[in-house]
Amino acid sequence: MSTEERIELTVVARRAGVRIALVRRYLEFGLFEAEAEAGAEETPRYDPQSAARVAQAERLRRDLGLNYAGAVLVCELLDRIKELEGRR
Amino acid sequence: MALAYTDYYEVLGVPRDADQDAIRRAYRKLARTYHPDLNSDSDAEDRFKELGEAYEVLSDPEKRERYDRLGADWRRTEQEAPDTDFEDFVSRQGFGTSDFEFSDDLFERLFGGRAGAGGRGWGEQARGPLRGFDREALLELSLEDALEGGRRRLTLDGRDIDVNFPAGVRDGQLIRLAGQGGAGRDGGPSGDLYLRIALKPHPDFRPRGEDDLDVDLLVAPWQAALGATVAVKTPTGTAQIRVPAGSSSGRRLRLRGRGLPGAGGRTGDLHAIVKITVPKDLTDRERELYEQLAEAATAEASA
Repeated sequence: MSTEERIELTVVARRAGVRIALVRRYLEFGLFEAEAEAGAEETPRYDPQSAARVAQAERLRRDLGLNYAGAVLVCELLDRIKELEGRR
Repeated sequence: MALAYTDYYEVLGVPRDADQDAIRRAYRKLARTYHPDLNSDSDAEDRFKELGEAYEVLSDPEKRERYDRLGADWRRTEQEAPDTDFEDFVSRQGFGTSDFEFSDDLFERLFGGRAGAGGRGWGEQARGPLRGFDREALLELSLEDALEGGRRRLTLDGRDIDVNFPAGVRDGQLIRLAGQGGAGRDGGPSGDLYLRIALKPHPDFRPRGEDDLDVDLLVAPWQAALGATVAVKTPTGTAQIRVPAGSSSGRRLRLRGRGLPGAGGRTGDLHAIVKITVPKDLTDRERELYEQLAEAATAEASA
């Protein structure tokens, strides 16, 4: 969707305003993924939308008392709702 | 800190004698309803902040007692004259109280920020910098404006934002305005604002698929029968189009590249749709010619 260049994980963390450990945690839970094209020696890169996504999951987790898996699930369901609404 | 008095019991929809469980239940339910990530209403963010503030006070027996007793003044009093309980708390945290200067910032660190309080016992990392949420707003444009590009002033939450949009924006396209979304928490960056382009219906042009347009092409019966070159309106002006002889209503004549700019640099087409229009009032001469035409056509048909 975005035409902006792929960004590194540290940039995702900075833009989300959180520590990189938290970003790694959401990565483990599958909230977002690295771009497949990165070669073995390159630093993995990510969609710039990932920062907003991490922040959203984290807001939901903090505000609604969810755990990580729950926050990731809500984000995915929100995506699906948006998709369904767009299809109407 | 001048804050308007808010009835926290009313905000949470609980009676004044509600117990802690009832307050927590009410807060959790309303937080799910008004969370700005889950509710796109424009006032959801304010409602949610208000909920957090109400819950922060009413879920804490000390603050609640002070609020019940002092009403609107509860916060100011707390800051100007910390009571003994507060000092005890500070001592337990390892602060000396003698040369201790009270600041808003420390108040927030000890008691938590007011905005979007997660509530106690909901995880140790409920604080700390965090980016604000992304906002989405609609930018309605006429077809001409979308093709030309330009500037608009939007008012969002009492804030004026000037937006430049490029020429050739399409219906449904998103324009990102970095940092114009919801405010970040505890020093975190602001979210982004996304403007969704919505093209207003046009009196002449109707969208067809992704980037093609339809326009009616009014032609007289004799033009349709004999063929003619007529003027057709395009989004950027007019063009001449050749109507082939023997064109009936509904015939589609394509003008390449006169539609809307599409993805990947390709421009859509304009479809002129033949619509034969009969003059309402005929002159005597015209009536005579039509009658001759009718006779000739009838003779042909019955021959």
